[in-house]
Amino acid sequence: MLSYFIRSVAFRHLRYSVSQSLLTIGVVAISVLLIIYLRTIIGGTQQRITQNTTGAIPHITVEPPERTPVGAWQLSSLGLDTDNLYVGEVVNLPKAREVIEDWRLWLPSLDAVDPEVATVSPIVTGQAFMNRGSRRQSVRVTGVIPERHNGIVEIEKNLDAGRFIGMVSGDVVLGQKLARDFGLKLRDKVRLVGPEGLTLNFSVAGIYTTGFGQVDDGQVFVTLRDGQSLLELGGSISSFGIKLTDLYDAENVARRMVPVFPFKVQSWVVQNPNLFRTLDAQGQTRDLILIMTTIASGFGIGSILVMVVTSKYREIGILKAMGATPGEIQSIFVLEGLLLAFIGCLVGVPLGVLLLKGLAAIRSVGPDGRVDAPFLIEIDPMLLLGASLVAMATGAVASWFPARKAGQVDPMQVIRGS
Amino acid sequence: MAQPVVELDRVGKTYYNGDVETPVLFDISFSIVPGEFVAIVGGSGSGKTTLLNLMGLLDRPTAGVIRVESQEVSQLDELSRAKARRDRLGFIFQFHYLLPEFTVLENALMPCRMRGREFEKSQEPRMRELLRAVGLEDKLKVRPPQLSGGQQQRAAVVRSLANEPAVVFADEPTGNLDSKSGRLVFDLMKRLSRESGTAFVMVTHDDNFALEADRVIRIRDGRLVGAPAGVPSGAIPSR
Repeated sequence: MLSYFIRSVAFRHLRYSVSQSLLTIGVVAISVLLIIYLRTIIGGTQQRITQNTTGAIPHITVEPPERTPVGAWQLSSLGLDTDNLYVGEVVNLPKAREVIEDWRLWLPSLDAVDPEVATVSPIVTGQAFMNRGSRRQSVRVTGVIPERHNGIVEIEKNLDAGRFIGMVSGDVVLGQKLARDFGLKLRDKVRLVGPEGLTLNFSVAGIYTTGFGQVDDGQVFVTLRDGQSLLELGGSISSFGIKLTDLYDAENVARRMVPVFPFKVQSWVVQNPNLFRTLDAQGQTRDLILIMTTIASGFGIGSILVMVVTSKYREIGILKAMGATPGEIQSIFVLEGLLLAFIGCLVGVPLGVLLLKGLAAIRSVGPDGRVDAPFLIEIDPMLLLGASLVAMATGAVASWFPARKAGQVDPMQVIRGS
Repeated sequence: MAQPVVELDRVGKTYYNGDVETPVLFDISFSIVPGEFVAIVGGSGSGKTTLLNLMGLLDRPTAGVIRVESQEVSQLDELSRAKARRDRLGFIFQFHYLLPEFTVLENALMPCRMRGREFEKSQEPRMRELLRAVGLEDKLKVRPPQLSGGQQQRAAVVRSLANEPAVVFADEPTGNLDSKSGRLVFDLMKRLSRESGTAFVMVTHDDNFALEADRVIRIRDGRLVGAPAGVPSGAIPSR
């Protein structure tokens, strides 16, 4: 361990080189502050963008498999009879609706497919017209089991009126904007016309504002059974939506599901490649800035310690002449670097937390008129610890070279140099 | 006859710089006994500081053997030489080189501090007494920049005795002082040598001080004066 001699010389150097010490502490504190600030702000922004994108959609979508066209020349390789193959006129085959028929059988398997699966929601979806009086508008009808689907999009929590969980056949739940456009309030009647012309009457059971444009505007929720009836899907569903506990693991979970299920399984990452690339680029930019900041802080500590070593050249020489070993001299300056980095952390971390708390308290009015915090800030204790460890490691590495130089001072040169 | 604290047996030193060889010392042999006060004199470039560095284990000879308290120390590695300096030798330099961040008392105790807190504590009363004896009793808590050159060098003399060394090596300790302060410091070293029984080896340009030493070792062109080339040289008594 560090001896009393090493500790006392290092502490005394720092105490009596106030301006140099303060300068180094300032450099470390600013770099710690920057690490905490950048990671939290950019991390928060990324989280907000991701939440805004994925908040209203499943993390994983399980859909009927795509039908892959097969060329005539491939038929024999597939073991199909090609002797009776005739090529005649081109006909338009009726477009088959791709649905999942036996969804009740698959639901338990999906529920248990991965520990990260939080919710599985069977969904029917299709276009319909909503009529009320003379007003008519195309809407996306989504038939769901509300108790399950509330795990995909939090409708219940964002209700302005009525209910979502517990809705029954004949109920419709819709967004505030749509309700306003149609002049609807709770228990008002509205008519939905399916793609095949089937018309069903519904009663408004709930009105919500989620903040997600695609949910609040132009989408209505009905029960799964009503959705199947309106869209004439029989007992089938269009897809399963899956919400995970960790949305960033969606691609891994989806990959694990592909060989297990005879469906098309896609994560939100694949469905939003541009967003993912943008977030990735943003993350890399942030990391680059952090690396540069850390290096700059390392150079700051290193250059100041080089100055200290140069100014203490004679004293180092005399200490070595009196019997201090190169290792002890080296330890003195590494300890100084570590102490400066440590004090820098003690200053930088509270400053960083204060700055973040200040930013978290800011409120502004968004374009939708809602008062909201512009910065999504979660102070992560692990980040504070991590930033401190990075600063300490930087202090150790940066002080190593001047310390080594100090350890190599030749006492005879010092004596002769006088 | 007391056991020598330092013995040199046909010691030589040659510096190598690439292919260029620069011999500095040749066939130096003498010994120093406890409590002896020895002056090394010689012109500039004669090799006296090199000789002091070899005896002080700051450098290694290229020929011959050096023993400190009967132990062969000529070829010890750097770490062992550092420990030997710490435990058995004391140093005084032309410039005091006190550490400005520490008080006079702490500076005097610095060699003890290298050996641990307990040892430092055990030596503190003795060092306080020594500092009092050299007239620095009211400067114990003062930092070196607030002292005069003479006072600083007196503190450095006390520091050289901190570890109760077998021998103290002093490289022109009065060279940077006015004559009055120089005299004070020289008398102090003589007195402490006599009182503590510690041998002192002092390199000096001042013949007056040299003549007051127990013995003078005169060196010219890397050889002890009076010793023909190739013949091991001895010491020349000053009186």
